[in-house]
Amino acid sequence: MKNVSCHEEGGTLTIALNGHVDSANAAAVEEEISGFRATHPAQTIVVDCEKLDYISSAGLRIILRLKKAVADTRLVNVSAEVYEIFDMTGFTEMMEIQKAYRVISVEGCEVIGQGANGKVYRIDRDTIVKVYLNPDALPEIHRERELARTAFVLGVPTAIPYDVVRIEGGGYGSVFELLNAVSFAKLLIRGEKTVDEVAKMSVDLLKLIHSTVVKPETMPDMKAVALDWADFLADYLPEEQYRKLHALVAAVPEDNHMMHGDYHIKNVMLQNGESLLIDMDTLCHGHPVFELASMFNAYVGYSDTDHSIVQSFLGISWETAAEFWNKSLRLYLDGADEAAVKAVEEKAMIVGYTRIMRRSIRRNGLNTEAGRREIENCKQKLAELLSRVDALTF
Amino acid sequence: MTITKSGSGQNLTLALEGRLDTTTAPELDNELKASLDGVTSLVLDLEKLDYMSSAGLRVLLSAQKRMAKQGGMKVIHVNEIIMEIFDVTGFVDILTIE
Repeated sequence: MKNVSCHEEGGTLTIALNGHVDSANAAAVEEEISGFRATHPAQTIVVDCEKLDYISSAGLRIILRLKKAVADTRLVNVSAEVYEIFDMTGFTEMMEIQKAYRVISVEGCEVIGQGANGKVYRIDRDTIVKVYLNPDALPEIHRERELARTAFVLGVPTAIPYDVVRIEGGGYGSVFELLNAVSFAKLLIRGEKTVDEVAKMSVDLLKLIHSTVVKPETMPDMKAVALDWADFLADYLPEEQYRKLHALVAAVPEDNHMMHGDYHIKNVMLQNGESLLIDMDTLCHGHPVFELASMFNAYVGYSDTDHSIVQSFLGISWETAAEFWNKSLRLYLDGADEAAVKAVEEKAMIVGYTRIMRRSIRRNGLNTEAGRREIENCKQKLAELLSRVDALTF
Repeated sequence: MTITKSGSGQNLTLALEGRLDTTTAPELDNELKASLDGVTSLVLDLEKLDYMSSAGLRVLLSAQKRMAKQGGMKVIHVNEIIMEIFDVTGFVDILTIE
């Protein structure tokens, strides 16, 4: 059996090691690698250890020389046993070494949820796994997990994200702590809590999120995203309105406070009296006007021209949703007078309708009747609001 | 979960045994709130802890924040199961583990 195979693509040399690499075959392995490298220069070396069972000091010296020759050399798919060797010898501190994903089976596991992206299974007493349907979901899984971990360590109450696993039979999954919790939406639908109670809990958690300072490079900047939305409308709004919209968003100061990005009653859960945030993939940072805009949309904006939308989205009636939004906004603004509340709502609505209009156009809205009605509504609202709002900050 | 208290004056050690999860985390939280006044050195002994959920980690996080202001906190005798949880959650970088 050959202990090494090499291939090169786009400047990345992949070296797959196989079985045992020790003093008996190290010289031959290194010769094979050197021969290949002579004809295939590479800036990056990836050593794939999926099939590597053991590596001795003679093998480690090969890795050392590769790392010396090409600084960007890393090891991937390293089994737990082999990882221990790299760990004991100090290699893990010297270079990037990625462990192989744990493989688990979900056969026979209870399905406890199903979303657009995949299924959620309960794997044991304390953990669940979110399995993604898209086989290329790996970067997205890692991104969401990293965001959740960042928020958790900063003190935002959420489920613990454990490891990323490979699912037997295909696909990847993200393992999370099992929450024994009920969503705020369910509490309202079942009548277990009143609108006032849920709005209070929801705003308390929101304020905690908004008081959390993040390193801006760890999550997206919401202002940049909102500028994109505004600029998309350059071709669809009267020029003067578009210019004002762009200037308003551009004038919002940089802000390093955390935002959820998709904050509504289906994304907050109650467990033993404690509020917990879920769905962390939209975490970002920025001025709270952007969060209020997305909340306005969830409860009111998206259902503006079709009141049945909020019923199928959140499970509550248009009237309840509007009441929930009004109460949340007032609680968030802590006893501000009516005129001040209205002013903040209008600022949020500008960002909100900008987003809806862009979304509708991108979803072929100009070619359907419901879409045209929605776009026309956004246009009217924006024309009105842009004529009297002079800053988005508050 | 059982909490065993020892130490005196400015030094407090809490040994935790069993599961620190959403049901038992409030017990630890209350114990800390009641005992931390005047304490400058808090030690949590986790040798006999079998499991820690996010609710438990949050209690540790708030204890850590409070102790950073009035002294220090360290976690000792961390077994393999709990270490794995500290590891994947990034708590290894925040806590003082001995």
